[in-house]
Amino acid sequence: MNLDLFIPEITLAAFAVLVILLDLFVRQKSLLRSVSLAGLIIAGGVSVAMWGGDYLPIFNNMLAVDEFALFFKLLFAGIAFLVILASADYVNKFERFQGEYYALILLATLGMMLMAATADLISLYVSLELTSISLYVLVGFLKDKKSTEASLKYLLLGAIASAVLLYGMALVFGVTGETQLGAIASSIRSMAPVAVLDSPALIIGIVLMIAGFGFKIAAVPFQMWVPDVYEGAPTPVTAYLSVGSKAAGFAIILRIFFSAFGTPFWLSENWGMIFAGLAVISMVVGNVTAIPQANIKRMLGYSSIAQAGYLMVGLAVMGVSMLPSSGSALAFSRFQGQAGVIFFLASYALTNLGAFIAVIAISNKLDSDLIADYSGMGKRAPLLALGLTLCLISLIGMPPAAGFMAKFYLFSAAVQNDLLWLVIIAVINSVISAYYYLRVVKVMWFGEAASAEKVPSSGAPRFALFVCCLGVLLLGIIPGLLMRLAEVAGRMFGF
Amino acid sequence: MLASYGLIGLFFVVVLVFSLTMVVIPIILRFLKIVPSHPNPVKNSTFECGMETIGKTWVQFNFRYYFYALVFLALDVLVIFLYPWAVQLRALGTFSLWVVLILVFIVFIGYLYAWQKKVLEWK
Repeated sequence: MNLDLFIPEITLAAFAVLVILLDLFVRQKSLLRSVSLAGLIIAGGVSVAMWGGDYLPIFNNMLAVDEFALFFKLLFAGIAFLVILASADYVNKFERFQGEYYALILLATLGMMLMAATADLISLYVSLELTSISLYVLVGFLKDKKSTEASLKYLLLGAIASAVLLYGMALVFGVTGETQLGAIASSIRSMAPVAVLDSPALIIGIVLMIAGFGFKIAAVPFQMWVPDVYEGAPTPVTAYLSVGSKAAGFAIILRIFFSAFGTPFWLSENWGMIFAGLAVISMVVGNVTAIPQANIKRMLGYSSIAQAGYLMVGLAVMGVSMLPSSGSALAFSRFQGQAGVIFFLASYALTNLGAFIAVIAISNKLDSDLIADYSGMGKRAPLLALGLTLCLISLIGMPPAAGFMAKFYLFSAAVQNDLLWLVIIAVINSVISAYYYLRVVKVMWFGEAASAEKVPSSGAPRFALFVCCLGVLLLGIIPGLLMRLAEVAGRMFGF
Repeated sequence: MLASYGLIGLFFVVVLVFSLTMVVIPIILRFLKIVPSHPNPVKNSTFECGMETIGKTWVQFNFRYYFYALVFLALDVLVIFLYPWAVQLRALGTFSLWVVLILVFIVFIGYLYAWQKKVLEWK
């Protein structure tokens, strides 16, 4: 067996163990931060170095090492890197357990990396639980009333979602007799269409799996945990949840629905329509309920539900564009949905992280998450306010920010695949979302400052915010490079 | 499709009939006076062996035992992984020896963690 292809994961696991060990003997806790950052840099660097080789599935077809997995490994390492940088000041709120905080973030990242690489229902479930259990603990890290409540809610609802997912996986296994994604696909292809229509177990299995993953990506109607958990969790963990956990969920949906349920066309068209429906209600519910929110973490929580809705437009495109390819033009359009989702995820990760880093830096000093308290922040902390403004503009999807390009690619792919009605609903929702995003901008720049006191911030979060804003601008102005990478990554490993 | 579900239904019927018969047989034998009825205190006691319980069994355990339960769980899982390896020791070779050593090392760190965080001390 070829362990070379498994180096990013091994590195990350080794560093997580190293952090736990060092935490026991070292008094200087900032050393742990440097060690975790070093681990993430190595894991991400190895993923970059592995790009472009020709790869085999490892561990008995349990994991696939392809461009898709490598892209997401780099993305997750980058997200965790920025989250750890951003929590430099925040960790002092945890009187104990700083070492555990870093170790758990590394382990959750490891789980997400495995999720992106998984090619088997069993390894899928194991990696999903590795991520989830680490996150359950992280959400409760503040140990106050709200944080504990959030953690308990997340644990209970997450357990239900896991059960639903397992039930769906069991039904799919029962019908096809396989757990490996490629084998499931060939088993479904070999059935007569009538036999598949005659066995509702497969359809129910697929729908239950969508429900289980819907919880991870916070799609309506599986979103009820989002506001409370986002509000109660430590803010860096909220940032990590809203970006990392969501990206991992989408990675796994892309992988499974492309590799296992991608053929025949009438099946993929039907789950494409399920995602289109979920996209519509996610966008509408997320945007409309975000409007009256007074707490910025809750507002960003609802906004992340709406963003999941836009992302699911891409999944719908993937479903309806899975026609058997005859010409080269068709072959290209087959991957537009995936490439659009991957590009959107990368730009959303930078944007949302940027917004949360600004919120962490500001709220850490104010000790409040209320939007009203951000009044006059343009004078008190001009750089943080500028960064937050840019990220909010990107979340609306206005040029020159990355969000505009991401929405443009995704929606144009949808229009080319005859989903114009979906794009119209999405654009109307983007306009609605401008109201609550711009309200924060208005409060920050035109509101009266409660005091003239400056809001200071330390170097590490500033650097993280700078990286995010730079990324948002670069992706908005020259998106070509990442778009090409996304197109390569979208052509997943076939079995 | 329906035929295979029918088979399950048939199985269900057999299960019902069998278990009902098993319950009814002793009652019928009792009515026919074939089974003798000589009750005594030992026969009527709940446990046929072991100690009689003193007081109620619904006592509270100290919450702190949950640490020990967690530490025990780690060891338990380790043993489950060690068994199949031990059975196939020769066939798996040195590579798997290293894998198992790494696994033991990780569990060992768990113990070290518990020890260092004073979980094993009863204050």
